[in-house]
Amino acid sequence: MAGRGKLIAVIGDEDTCTGFLLGGVGELNKNRKPNFLVVEKDTSITEIEETFKSFLARNDIGIILINQFIAEMIRHAIDAHMQSIPAVLEIPSKEHPYDASKDSILRRAKGMFSAEDFR
Amino acid sequence: MGISELEESSLSLDGKLLRFMDQLELLEEKRATLNSLIEQGWFTMSKARYSMGNKQVSALQYASEIEPLVCVHARTLDNGEVDFCTERVTQSKESGKDVRSIEDIGPQEEGVRRRNKPQKDITEKEANDKAESQKAPEVTPVKRSDQNPQQDPLKWFGILVPQSLKQAQSSFKQVIELSAEIATLQTAVLNSRRELRNSMKDKHVLVKTTSAAQMDKVAD
Repeated sequence: MAGRGKLIAVIGDEDTCTGFLLGGVGELNKNRKPNFLVVEKDTSITEIEETFKSFLARNDIGIILINQFIAEMIRHAIDAHMQSIPAVLEIPSKEHPYDASKDSILRRAKGMFSAEDFR
Repeated sequence: MGISELEESSLSLDGKLLRFMDQLELLEEKRATLNSLIEQGWFTMSKARYSMGNKQVSALQYASEIEPLVCVHARTLDNGEVDFCTERVTQSKESGKDVRSIEDIGPQEEGVRRRNKPQKDITEKEANDKAESQKAPEVTPVKRSDQNPQQDPLKWFGILVPQSLKQAQSSFKQVIELSAEIATLQTAVLNSRRELRNSMKDKHVLVKTTSAAQMDKVAD
């Protein structure tokens, strides 16, 4: 591993994971636990959520990349994550283009201008 | 005095708001670049799949041992923002090792040949020793490469992969770097939002106190 930096984890469809693994982010640790999850048609939401939470709990992960359509499935878990590290980045997928209005971070930023903030 | 304080807080609020807007604009720009790079990566990957075969570029080809070639350093700044920067293991070292491993066949054969000719004059032996000592350092990197299982993920998909797969790899490498920049910006945006919110609350308190003071003056 390069230096003592943190890893980039990926939760995405096959093409997204393959692309990022080609880029060199993949890791299988000593316990043979990967830092990526290939989400297929038969992957349950519980499995996705558990994997996401396990990535949040790992202290060797710095950034979690997740396809936005998968993020939509576990939105409550993503919204509940308030720490800066690991950072959660929503990325587009082949079939689902990126929609900024669904992004957790941008929705939080947009919340700045709600009536509640002006009280 | 109260009014100037209010003006000051309004000015600082304006500054923070402008900074927040700038950050959002930059985030949007980087997002657009990231999206187009990912699209490009998928397109070239699909091209590679078309030329290699449908099942040749899939999760089934992932290696059984995967080592990360890129890592991210997270540095928390004084103002609470987190700076993410990527670090990559250079592939040129690995390709260098490959070249050396081919060259190493030479000295091994030479060693065998020397055993057949033991009665050579001393000067030639010395020359051989010198040549051996010169070549000796080249042996060590091969040993290192044996210990280090890091491998270019391109090789999972075959030795002679199409150019399009290499292009896909380079697109995704850029995406990885950009994603670290976006992660930094995201934390900056959230931090600015927090600051802005606190400043707004402070300003509201200030407005209330000044208006109360003015009311008292009017009443007097």
